[in-house]
Amino acid sequence: MTITLTINGCRKTMAIEPGERLLDLLRREGYAGVKIGCGTGDCGACAVLLNGRAVNSCLVYAAKADGGEVITVEGLERDGRLHPVQEAFLDEGGIQCGYCTPGMVIAAVDLLSRNPNPTETEIRQGLSGNLCRCTGYVKQIRAVQRAAEVMRGGGCDD
Amino acid sequence: MVPTAIREYVRPMSVDDVWAMLAERGKAAQVIGGGIDAHLYAVPDVSMLIDLTALGLSYVRGEEELAIGATTTFAEILEAKPARAYLGGVLVDVLEQVASPLQRNLGTIGGTIGSAHPWSDVIPLLLALGAELNVHDGRDRSIPLTQYLADRASCGRPLITEVRLPAPLPQSACAFEAFTTTGFDVAILNCACFVALDAGRCGPVRIAVGGTPALASRVSALEEAVTGTALDGATIDRVASLATDAIDVRDDRRATADHRRVLARIGVARCLRRVAGELGGTG
Repeated sequence: MTITLTINGCRKTMAIEPGERLLDLLRREGYAGVKIGCGTGDCGACAVLLNGRAVNSCLVYAAKADGGEVITVEGLERDGRLHPVQEAFLDEGGIQCGYCTPGMVIAAVDLLSRNPNPTETEIRQGLSGNLCRCTGYVKQIRAVQRAAEVMRGGGCDD
Repeated sequence: MVPTAIREYVRPMSVDDVWAMLAERGKAAQVIGGGIDAHLYAVPDVSMLIDLTALGLSYVRGEEELAIGATTTFAEILEAKPARAYLGGVLVDVLEQVASPLQRNLGTIGGTIGSAHPWSDVIPLLLALGAELNVHDGRDRSIPLTQYLADRASCGRPLITEVRLPAPLPQSACAFEAFTTTGFDVAILNCACFVALDAGRCGPVRIAVGGTPALASRVSALEEAVTGTALDGATIDRVASLATDAIDVRDDRRATADHRRVLARIGVARCLRRVAGELGGTG
């Protein structure tokens, strides 16, 4: 079957298998930022924004996304500048091996789009679908706090 | 790519079309909302997926009585003001703990009822709230959730189109409790208690327990023990003790029956105390 998707702002018509996962389609199309992790919706490494909502792409049929808009971590930058969440992850050292980072960034972008000023508890809850095997989540939480501050216009220049 | 038996994926525009496809394909067809369970618990005989999301069943309507479309996601329910306000926010308290934010953007209320997992936290809550379902099986009708769950093994399954929650009674409250090994795991046992007060006496009362490890169901012995009482501390202790034997529990790999008996007593006591507190009682 054939579906049409807008991926990172680029409209594409693609042939898919009816039972194919969105995760597999995206990686086949070259979006390597979408990571294969558990395949059961537990780790969040495969998270993408589907029609503005962060979802586990391993749990979404590609056919379900037909006509929709997908944003992967590659699609967050604007004019060569990283998204404030990506910048904050770098600045706060919220990255170690990096495998969970794309999914965690996507989840944070979704959280901040709905809640621009989250409490630490709300950040922890917002990232609770993303597992990190390297860190203790502390730096990722700080990164989301910093990104929230920057996105609200309170960030510093240094 | 993960091997799959799926050969067709369709998104019909009407409930009648869905029902006709189910009638034609039988067990080879499966309806999906978010589609999570179709991935995680793929049935080898299923070759056609029928996606319900084009039916216009994603909504939360009403102020007192709530009507929730079957394909409404948990995230959409959590963002709907009437749902947040319903009965002291009990829907929010429970649904915020269901799965992860990423899965709550996908999972639907109709899907979770249709899947009817024994560990579901949503089903005991809906049982305690007295949920009814609008369903379609060639005709539109309304049935209690209890009947849908009881009939599903023997009578085939009608298509769920809407979940309806009754307008809360003037003096009523509902509480939920779940026990898990870790914050990420499904419940070893969960329970929900709804109590309304009429002239200081309890009634109606609905108490549902799930993860026993069987599918959640109401426990009439406990409901009867609460009905007509003032829900004081002594009553709660007595009912909680009764829960140890009134709930049919078994061993499975998550917990022993003995462990579940203890959890049943604690869970029912906690729920009833919280309800009593909200109703201004002494429990």
